[in-house]
Amino acid sequence: MTAQAVAQSLVSGLLMGLIYALVAAGLALVFGLMNVVNFAHGEFLMTAMYAAFGLFVAVSLDPLLAAPFVAAAMFIFGSVVYLGVVRFAMSASANAGMVQIFATFGLGVVMRGLAQLLFTPNYRSIPHSWLGGRTMQIAGVYLPAPQLAGACVSLATFGALWLIINRTDFGRALEATREDSGAVALVGIDRKRIFALGWGLGAALVGLAGAVLAIFFYIYPDVGASFSLIAYVTVALGGFGSVFGAFAAGILVGLVEAGSALVLPASLKYVGVYALYLLVVLVRPRGLFGSL
Amino acid sequence: MDDGKEREPRMKLNRREIMTGAAVLAAAPRVARAQGAGEILIGAVFPMTGSTAQTGLDAKNAIETAAAIINDKTDLDLPLARGAGLPGFGGAKVRVIYADHQGDPQKGRAEAERLITQEKAVALIGCYHSAVSATVSQTAERYALPFMCADSSSPSLSRRGLKFFFRASAHDEMFSSAMFDLMDSLRAKGQKIETLALFHEDTIFGADSANVQTKLAGERGYRIACDVKYRANSPSLTTEVQQIKSAAADVLMPSSYTTDGILLVRTMNELGYKPRAIVAQAAGFSEQALYDAVGDLLHGAITRGSFSLDLAQKRPMVARVNDLFKARAGKDLNDNSAREFMALIVLADGVNRAGTTDGEAIRAALTATDIPGDRTIMPWKGVRFDATGQNNGCDPVLLQYDGRKFVTVFPLLAAISEPVWPMNS
Repeated sequence: MTAQAVAQSLVSGLLMGLIYALVAAGLALVFGLMNVVNFAHGEFLMTAMYAAFGLFVAVSLDPLLAAPFVAAAMFIFGSVVYLGVVRFAMSASANAGMVQIFATFGLGVVMRGLAQLLFTPNYRSIPHSWLGGRTMQIAGVYLPAPQLAGACVSLATFGALWLIINRTDFGRALEATREDSGAVALVGIDRKRIFALGWGLGAALVGLAGAVLAIFFYIYPDVGASFSLIAYVTVALGGFGSVFGAFAAGILVGLVEAGSALVLPASLKYVGVYALYLLVVLVRPRGLFGSL
Repeated sequence: MDDGKEREPRMKLNRREIMTGAAVLAAAPRVARAQGAGEILIGAVFPMTGSTAQTGLDAKNAIETAAAIINDKTDLDLPLARGAGLPGFGGAKVRVIYADHQGDPQKGRAEAERLITQEKAVALIGCYHSAVSATVSQTAERYALPFMCADSSSPSLSRRGLKFFFRASAHDEMFSSAMFDLMDSLRAKGQKIETLALFHEDTIFGADSANVQTKLAGERGYRIACDVKYRANSPSLTTEVQQIKSAAADVLMPSSYTTDGILLVRTMNELGYKPRAIVAQAAGFSEQALYDAVGDLLHGAITRGSFSLDLAQKRPMVARVNDLFKARAGKDLNDNSAREFMALIVLADGVNRAGTTDGEAIRAALTATDIPGDRTIMPWKGVRFDATGQNNGCDPVLLQYDGRKFVTVFPLLAAISEPVWPMNS
């Protein structure tokens, strides 16, 4: 194996890792805010990819330009999901944890079914976009433009998230709600409003990821499954609820996946990822950056 | 003590009940199945949801097209086409009940069981994924009902000694032999073809396909430059493609379903890898969705197939059946849907000749099947099953994508043009 092949694998792993981090960011945010795991996360991603595809088909909007619109639409969608489903699941009088799991899981099943009904199970993809199929080469290492753009969007998004969480009133309210959702009510913060905005923000993040993925990935009703399992591993690895833990863990997952594929048969490349996950869960159950 | 004595007679009764129950159970599969008035029920197990749902949907359209031809009077020269319904049952109609296996062998087994015991299907048809056909055919065997394998191509399926397994179309050994025949003939014409790169998914379809190709490569003097077994539906195939690229083989031979096929071709392009030639084990490479997504990167890609639309030039019936299918599905017949179509025709022909819904009788009738090639829509010599339930008269074809459609390039008898080699040239 040449040094070039190793470099190519690691660079590709890093780019995919940043995209995994972006996919997982919304999941980590929502969990951190209110201890709810969104089991429809993969379906949120699928919806965002269809939205990007729809904008491309309807008004020939490049997925990169469509990303802000998809994110905005997903923000509304996420808030509506909180107000229409999760809010009620959280106020269940018994076994609220299980009710939340089943509510979001059920929502995922409904969304997949609706997608199949409305869009048919056919595989869609955006055949021509600005970045699709473009690639650049540095010292024999190929950097595909779509993944590069995805990685840049991911970095920019996490930068913006850091600013939102640390420098805005909304961010402080988010952090306060996350630390003690009972106490914030006493200082005049509307907890339900913060939750709805948090769900909106989480969905908007996955919206960005969906728009970026739509450039180079195929789209069909079950596409979320390819990414959601990795997203759950990323969130658990990074520390449940830690958005920046998810960032680091996403990169780690991408690199470990690429590294495993170098030394193991390709069909076993996730063994490395899941072994790492198992190790972290056993040795450090709160995750790498978790503060529970 | 008294209590124990009182219980004893009841125990005996229970045992007798159990024995009777067991006897009834043992006899049950042999009992001819009751059917609704004038209907023969056939169970179809396909992926109707999940990652290959589109294939399942197309299969349903293909099978419904076949059922309509059987049930209505037509002037097509297919078995059972000219009359209405099954003459062996006084004109009873064929009705197909669909079940969804989602690509999961265990769900397939459960659904097969349900179709047999609850819906009273007289035979089963399926299942696209070889891994699912394996469990569904075992279930059919247990209930002594025929299983017509429509479109699963793993050779091992017909080598398990099952009595009730039938496959009218080719398996991957036959398909792969045709691929190597093509490469041999190109070599004879002076093309340099020495090394092969195998790229296959990690279920029974990909594994069996790669095993056969490895064996044939050894026999015919090709070197396997790399053999990449990848995980189906991976979010990324970069490292895998990197390995194929490093191997720089003369021919890339993928065995992939649609999703992975799209990602494979895109990733090859992103990593600057242009294979000299692609000879694919159909599956995803037969599907329109793949060519819609990445067709411009696949000019000159070759895939094996059982069916080709340009066969209509030699058999006009092919175009008429295609029109009927297109009216339902909005697309042309392809390798998969053509095999699914023929599977119901062949199965219904057997059921009709059996004249009863008893599984053993249908099996016997299927064993005696003899349909000449010109009464099918395939480039086959005919349909006759050997002792393993495999039809050996089903010569595969090789199709080349010319940027717009498939052109038959091999074997010479069916070919309408010479293969372009290497691709993109």
